[in-house]
Amino acid sequence: MKLTELFQKGVFVFTGEVGPVKGCCRTNGGPLPDFVREAAAIKDYVHAVNVADNQSALMRLGSLAASVLLKQAGVEPIFQLTCRDRNRIALQSDLMSACTLGIDNVLCLTGDHIRLGDHTSAKPVFDVDSVQLLKIARGLNEGRDMMGNPLTQPTDLALGAVVNPGFEPLDLQLLKMEKKVEQGAQFFQTQAVFDPVIFESFIRKAERFGVPVMYGLLIVKSPEMARYINENISGITVPRWLTRELEAVPPEGRKEKALEITLRLAKEMAPMVQGIHFMPLGWSDLIPPVVTELRKAGLA
Amino acid sequence: MIGTTKKPLEEVLAALAPHRKVALVGCDGCAKICQTGGVDEVAQLAQTLEAHGKEIVFQATPERTCNVAKSDPVLQPLKEKIEEADALLVLGCGGAVQITRHLTETYGLTKPVKVGLNSVGHLDTVVPGAVATEECSDCGDCVLNDTGGICPVTRCAKSLLNGPCGGAEAGKCEVDHSRDCAWILIYERLKALGESDRLKRFMEPKDYSRMAKPRTLYIKEGRVA
Repeated sequence: MKLTELFQKGVFVFTGEVGPVKGCCRTNGGPLPDFVREAAAIKDYVHAVNVADNQSALMRLGSLAASVLLKQAGVEPIFQLTCRDRNRIALQSDLMSACTLGIDNVLCLTGDHIRLGDHTSAKPVFDVDSVQLLKIARGLNEGRDMMGNPLTQPTDLALGAVVNPGFEPLDLQLLKMEKKVEQGAQFFQTQAVFDPVIFESFIRKAERFGVPVMYGLLIVKSPEMARYINENISGITVPRWLTRELEAVPPEGRKEKALEITLRLAKEMAPMVQGIHFMPLGWSDLIPPVVTELRKAGLA
Repeated sequence: MIGTTKKPLEEVLAALAPHRKVALVGCDGCAKICQTGGVDEVAQLAQTLEAHGKEIVFQATPERTCNVAKSDPVLQPLKEKIEEADALLVLGCGGAVQITRHLTETYGLTKPVKVGLNSVGHLDTVVPGAVATEECSDCGDCVLNDTGGICPVTRCAKSLLNGPCGGAEAGKCEVDHSRDCAWILIYERLKALGESDRLKRFMEPKDYSRMAKPRTLYIKEGRVA
């Protein structure tokens, strides 16, 4: 199901996220790969699950194949598609392939730079940017390729995009968000942000675009992870209060603490948005209790 | 200019291994600025090669080796010396090497033409004798009129045309924290110029056929094909 249909119905939408493995996933009837099982375990609590596209430029199983595996396991995938590794021909072809294989949702991204990944000598593509990709994807939905050639059958994909509320200067990020809306973005997932004041100032300015926004909620698992993110992951800042809270409990109590923090952030941000996008980094089992609590509290 | 760096001596010696008599051709244009192939560097390398058993047939340093108008008048009178050499070693950009090869061919000579430098791009000197930065990608369809004179194709690591990715922190690029985010620079510059509205314009995907290699410039017609 397309997420846009849920937003139209006024549903508060939950999404999760999994990262495909580095390896082939032909199961031959054996057990499903871990990332598929992780997604399947939360399918009753989220409406869809993002499938990362060679995340952080680390070479992995393709996001399209992984999305199809999720679909086969009864999980609605959001196919992430980046401009890093594909030129405009490959992007259009993959969008049509995705729709052909039953994918309904695509998240159009620029992609992390190759320099951040495990194949640093690769040639970066970046033939088009994420705004242009959205326009191209909208064109395919309307039955034509970017050169204006007609398609035998149009695609039918809900088009998602991302925005970073923590970006400074925020106005510049909003200018890009507006362009994305104008070119075809139908919903947004935000980059992880932990400060309700920053998020609120963003959301007040973004409301005028009239497009559903999902709050990006990253589950920080340990103080070490917080430090790693701050040092190595671009665009995300884990605040000191969060690191201190995790430091204050012994390692065996951190999952419970992470759940408490996640729930607190979710409750605080939920009234400002049309959905929450969880980035659980493997701790997807924390999503069901959070979703359950939010529903109980009437926030979702 | 075309930026160049010196290849390691071992690599140069390996390329020249089968050849004893070597003619050295430098370039007093870009390679001089990069301190890799001007008169001084050519003389220096000549001494080093002699110490490694090579015989230097001649040293020549045209004003711009990549331009036949400058290199032909220097090399043509040396035709007999070139003939005597086992190989030529060029301390210039890849263009200088190939123009030198082209000239030897027009002289009816078939000589190995080797390269002593690595070409590292179209670079512009910001601190003379110290730093040159890449400002232009020669894309064939300049957008600087719309971006406050700062090129996103070159200075944004992802060549984004419609604004920044979400990765910059404290104004710095996610790829290299020592580098400013090009789009934040463009934003500040356009704001200062009172041209912020330009940021709202959607920029279409670039026509990369204009960068399709190899390009030929027909100077009189101002045409690239």
